[in-house]
Amino acid sequence: MSLGFVLPLIADDDTVEWLSNYKDAIQEAKRTHKPIFLEYRCEA
Amino acid sequence: MEGRIFDAQVVLSPKNSPRGKLMTQYVCVRVTRMDDVDIALFERDWINTLYYFILNSDEQIYLRYGGRDARSGETYLDLNSIELALEKGLDLHRKYQQGELPKTERPKPRFPREIPPLVERTFAKNQCVECHLIGDFDLVDREQKGTLDKVKQLYRWPDIRALGIELDVPKGLLVKEVKDAAQTAGMKAGDVIAKVNGTSVWTYGDLQYFYDKVPRDATQVKITVDRAGQAVDLPIALRERWWLTDLRFRQLSVDPRSEFESRPLTSAERQKYDLRANGFSAEVARIGGFAQMLKVHELKIGDIVFAVDGVEQDDIANTPELYIKLRKTAGDTVTLDIIRDGKRMKMPVVTQRMYFRK
Repeated sequence: MSLGFVLPLIADDDTVEWLSNYKDAIQEAKRTHKPIFLEYRCEA
Repeated sequence: MEGRIFDAQVVLSPKNSPRGKLMTQYVCVRVTRMDDVDIALFERDWINTLYYFILNSDEQIYLRYGGRDARSGETYLDLNSIELALEKGLDLHRKYQQGELPKTERPKPRFPREIPPLVERTFAKNQCVECHLIGDFDLVDREQKGTLDKVKQLYRWPDIRALGIELDVPKGLLVKEVKDAAQTAGMKAGDVIAKVNGTSVWTYGDLQYFYDKVPRDATQVKITVDRAGQAVDLPIALRERWWLTDLRFRQLSVDPRSEFESRPLTSAERQKYDLRANGFSAEVARIGGFAQMLKVHELKIGDIVFAVDGVEQDDIANTPELYIKLRKTAGDTVTLDIIRDGKRMKMPVVTQRMYFRK
């Protein structure tokens, strides 16, 4: 994978929170009853 | 918008922005390694390096977002239309929770580790399982097993523009311009595409996904549009080889590259050269950029090609280069029968297997 421009994902309190693990997202969605917004990002 | 910028804009959405307010109603997850992804559930055009799904914790997919065409990797990425998708996803989730949305059947799971040539190329070398490699080595695996059906599997993700449909991308599935078969069927600018062969679609990603499911021998596809609140069914005629798309940007290993393109001869031209009326004879119209460098062939623009390894006609192919793509293996050397300056001659073509970027 190229590291030319992989987002640093520097989250702060003002931006939307992201998980980085799909299984964790499933568990969190079960807990909160929220839907999941899933991004697949490949840097080719 | 360039994919990496689009990615950044979405990932770093401020919570108090319109998009951020929608996204905070979701569990947002960003996955950058494909090693353990269920590639059957999350099937898509693997050439996209950025793609989105909206689903629930039962892993029922509500909608897809993303997609590209031969013009650009970012043709259908737009911050306005992704907001529409996020709104629709919340609506579908409410319906699901209220039991108003039928459950869909989950495909049998399949993982990248089940594709031996992909394992050899990535896992075994401790290298990243990149999206485009999944699609490419899935085809290589099929080729090695003798199960590759090129019409169905090489020519994936047909372009809706071949139907004459141009979308107003920021507005999702709103039709901006109509011509050709879509116009003949009655589609109009201002329609909103709602279904493909009876299956609801909410985004370009959905449209591309379900349009790809149309059998390659189909003669029409039913597109349902929302026209001023009314559902209108439009049976759109599919022309011969409607699934044919430009493969060049895909750089597929199993695509035998012959580095020329041709124009099918007219009936009059076939008569003039005394060639089969139903053959795939054609005039060379473009020479590929690697033809000379890789010593693929010595064709010239204007040459008439009328046979490949002695074969002059095919049930599907209407040009010699399509015949080579469908019937030959990348790397094969074939012999063309050509006419140049009125003289018939043989021309070897060393087709290329694309290893670049693999």
